[in-house]
Amino acid sequence: MTRNKDVESFLPMTPAMFHVLIALADGEKHGYAILKEVARRTERQVRLSAGTLYGNLARLESAGLIVESDERPAIGLDDERRRYYRLTDFGREVAIAEAERMDAALSQARAKKLFRKPRTA
Amino acid sequence: MSPMTSRTNLSPSQKVFRGLLSVLPSDFRANFGHEMESVFAEQRRDIEERGGWMDILKLWWETFLGIFRTAPREHWDILKQDCAYAVRMMRKNVGFTVIAVLTLALGIGANTAIFSVVHAVLLRPLPYPEGQQLVFVRQQAQREGIDDIGFSVDEIQDYREQNRTLSGLVEYHNMSFILFGHGDPDRVRAAVVSANYFDLFGVEPLLGRTFLPSDDTLGAPPVLILSYNYWRTNFGSDPDIVGKTFELNDKVHTVVGVLPPVPQYPVESDVFMPTSACPFRSAKTFIENRDSRMMEAFARVKPGVSIAEARADLTTISGRLRSEYPKSYPEQMGYAAVTSPLREELTHDARPTLLILLAAAAFVLLIACANVANLTLARTSRRERELAVRTALGAGRSRLLRQLLTESLILAIMGGLLALIFASNSLELLADFAARLTPRAHEIRMDTDALVFTLVAALGTSVLFGTLAALFSRANLTSGLKEGTSSAGTGRRKNRLRGALIVSQIAFSFVLLIGAGLMLRSLQKLLTVDAGFSAQHVLAMRTTFSFSKYASGDQLTVVGRKVLDQVQAVPGVLSASLSSVYPLEKEAIVAGSNAFSGPFRIEGRELSPGEAPPVTSQIVVSPGYFQTLGIPLREGRLLTDADDGKHQMVVLINEAAMRQFWPHEDPLGKRVRGENDKEWTTIVGVVGDVRDFGLERPAPAEFYVPQGEGVGPNALLVKTTADPVSVALAVARAVHKVDSQAAVTHTLTLEQARADSMAAPRVISSLLGIFGALALLIAAAGIGGIMALNVSQRVKEIGVRIALGAPPTAILRMILRQSLTLTALGVVIGAIGALATTGLLKSLLFQVAPTDPVTFTVVALVLIASALLASFLPARRAASIDPIVALRNE
Repeated sequence: MTRNKDVESFLPMTPAMFHVLIALADGEKHGYAILKEVARRTERQVRLSAGTLYGNLARLESAGLIVESDERPAIGLDDERRRYYRLTDFGREVAIAEAERMDAALSQARAKKLFRKPRTA
Repeated sequence: MSPMTSRTNLSPSQKVFRGLLSVLPSDFRANFGHEMESVFAEQRRDIEERGGWMDILKLWWETFLGIFRTAPREHWDILKQDCAYAVRMMRKNVGFTVIAVLTLALGIGANTAIFSVVHAVLLRPLPYPEGQQLVFVRQQAQREGIDDIGFSVDEIQDYREQNRTLSGLVEYHNMSFILFGHGDPDRVRAAVVSANYFDLFGVEPLLGRTFLPSDDTLGAPPVLILSYNYWRTNFGSDPDIVGKTFELNDKVHTVVGVLPPVPQYPVESDVFMPTSACPFRSAKTFIENRDSRMMEAFARVKPGVSIAEARADLTTISGRLRSEYPKSYPEQMGYAAVTSPLREELTHDARPTLLILLAAAAFVLLIACANVANLTLARTSRRERELAVRTALGAGRSRLLRQLLTESLILAIMGGLLALIFASNSLELLADFAARLTPRAHEIRMDTDALVFTLVAALGTSVLFGTLAALFSRANLTSGLKEGTSSAGTGRRKNRLRGALIVSQIAFSFVLLIGAGLMLRSLQKLLTVDAGFSAQHVLAMRTTFSFSKYASGDQLTVVGRKVLDQVQAVPGVLSASLSSVYPLEKEAIVAGSNAFSGPFRIEGRELSPGEAPPVTSQIVVSPGYFQTLGIPLREGRLLTDADDGKHQMVVLINEAAMRQFWPHEDPLGKRVRGENDKEWTTIVGVVGDVRDFGLERPAPAEFYVPQGEGVGPNALLVKTTADPVSVALAVARAVHKVDSQAAVTHTLTLEQARADSMAAPRVISSLLGIFGALALLIAAAGIGGIMALNVSQRVKEIGVRIALGAPPTAILRMILRQSLTLTALGVVIGAIGALATTGLLKSLLFQVAPTDPVTFTVVALVLIASALLASFLPARRAASIDPIVALRNE
């Protein structure tokens, strides 16, 4: 996929899509692992179902933000039906851009005292 | 990718989940289906370990939502891709695209147009509230064969009071008035109706009001309601028309309202007036005489009562009246009240014709489908490599089929859009044509139903030809790449399908062409039939004299004589005559000979008890009638000015009457009288038969009665030396010299009247002819195409044959024989189909049998010749194949 593709065209992202990218930021995962991590990390605020998860994976894959990983865990630990996904460099760029976009928005909100109490991320 | 677990080992919830997955595109399923199943299984396991049934329910709900949200997006993405791809393919292959779209547009367009007409006329409910409750009631003298003898005032009253099934019954009759005060005196067709006539129909006026009971009392100020058409064409849709006054005959009438466009039956009227406005209807002698019949009745059946119950109710009343007043209902006449749904009355003339046209249009669409399927097949043959490569690159088979179907869908939608343009452009013409068959014609328009029909036709069409083509590509997808070209087996199978498609096109075309051919033969017979009179150089017009001014028959005779004297003095006029009706006059054709017929008695012939008296049509004529129309005298003498009914009562009869009533004796000198007349009339002459009431109808038995007995000189006929139109103005001026208040209208030549009377068969022939020509063109192009493909597939084989010494003529013959075989097969099947269906045309045919051997032979020859012609080019190419080149290419 082309690296010079306009990152901006993916912004803003849907929460589900962004969370999938975040889930893959620290290494490749299979579908169920992504789903569980997103649920855990968001304290079950963002709940992906099988349908939405794979709809998003299909989109991210065809846009070149993620790829299916060739590397597989050792035999025995692996379920043959599972496929592993990892973030591409372009996907990482897009995720960063989205994070920065949100961060900028949050700073502005904070400057206008739109938070009840200061929170750490 | 691992194979999916077989269905039998699945748990119920796995089965349900897999069922849910089926809403996703097949590619998506193939790609992610297994993973989604395993993810869902793991989710469930986790929840079952720690959660309750509420959590499981929640999981199912979220899963369900997720899949149903994802599916449309995925399908939409694929559709976008497929469309873009399809458009690219179409651009690469403009010739195919144009031919396919045009073929489909013609096929769908013909159907949309005819459907719009059928829908407006036959399918849509009447434009009246609860229109299905409306019925038309007529009284018949069934033993006399009189279809509509009318009701008298007493009878209307009786049916109105004695029925138990109607919520209302209104009367109707029509007559002509002369309208003054708006340009030249104009003859207006007036409907004379009960005051609550429009309330019964539920018609709200467009302007002003409808009638009030007070309008319908004797001595009430005369009022008028204008029909929508009359208001539009004669008063330019004047919005201030209400309150204006016009003189009708001798009375000033005030316009109180204008009607919306509603169908008018039994005839179109210009104005409506209450019964009190008609001098005949309001005459005391008319009102008090049960036997003075002239009205029709409309009624509304009570809610919840069926038409059959109403019919039975009115039949009972009819029987009761017959036994109560035996003198008014002589046994031998067979009086009866007949009730029929209004909708049927309005449409029965149009139904057979429209259904035949609908069937013809459907045939054209089927032929178009077969043709496009064939084109698509030929194209997919050429695309086999491309499709096979895409399969190899991972596109699922169903994905490719979907792609092919999308392509056919786009073609069909383009065809459908073009079809709408074709249809809306032809609709006005069709509506004009339908107007000759039904008063509902002005309801014909393109509406949402027609649009929906077009959409459905386009979708159905694309599925039909797309599936045919796609199914056969499916067989080839696997073999395509393996062998480089299609395998012999599937190739043969495909050729067989293409052959079958061609045969079906030929067969359908044959049936259509037979229909067109029969109608054309019938039209040709109509054009050349001897109508019994000469229409050349004869001008006809309606002259209406105020019946208020000329109250007696004598006065009318006098004014008639004066008019003839004046007209005959016009330069260029050879002869002139007045009559009650003239041959092929539109109103006479619509009314039929029944409307002019009545019972009579022959001197010296007693009727046995219960025997019905004979019936004949009566035409009132001035002496010059026969000379003006060139009607030959067969026996005796013609009428003269001396035959004025004062000295000797005389009558002429036609040959049909002679054959019917005096088959073995000389009618001259025999005496007859009308059923209710006292004096006998002597037959003084026999004249030739004239097809007065339609070229296709044989002349009925007719009596020609000299003018003088109260019938107005309605039709003025003028025989001229040159073009009759050139004297029309001078003739009208001559009439006005006698009476400046006479209305001279409906001027036309008899040749025009004769041509007009054939308008319906002409339009049906033209439409079927157009459909047939389209079918022939499509079928010929189809067979030419398949032969060309055939030749290009067999280049090597033909090369070998030529190399082995086959002369070019043998090759030519071989290809032509093949085309001939397909065509002959199509013709045979088509002939069987035609024999089974042309019976439907029978009522529209004139002097031509539905199985007319001439038509069948000619059509078969035309089809075979066209097919051979279309195959000649590919055959010649085959014959000129250079064996060296052909074999080297392999």
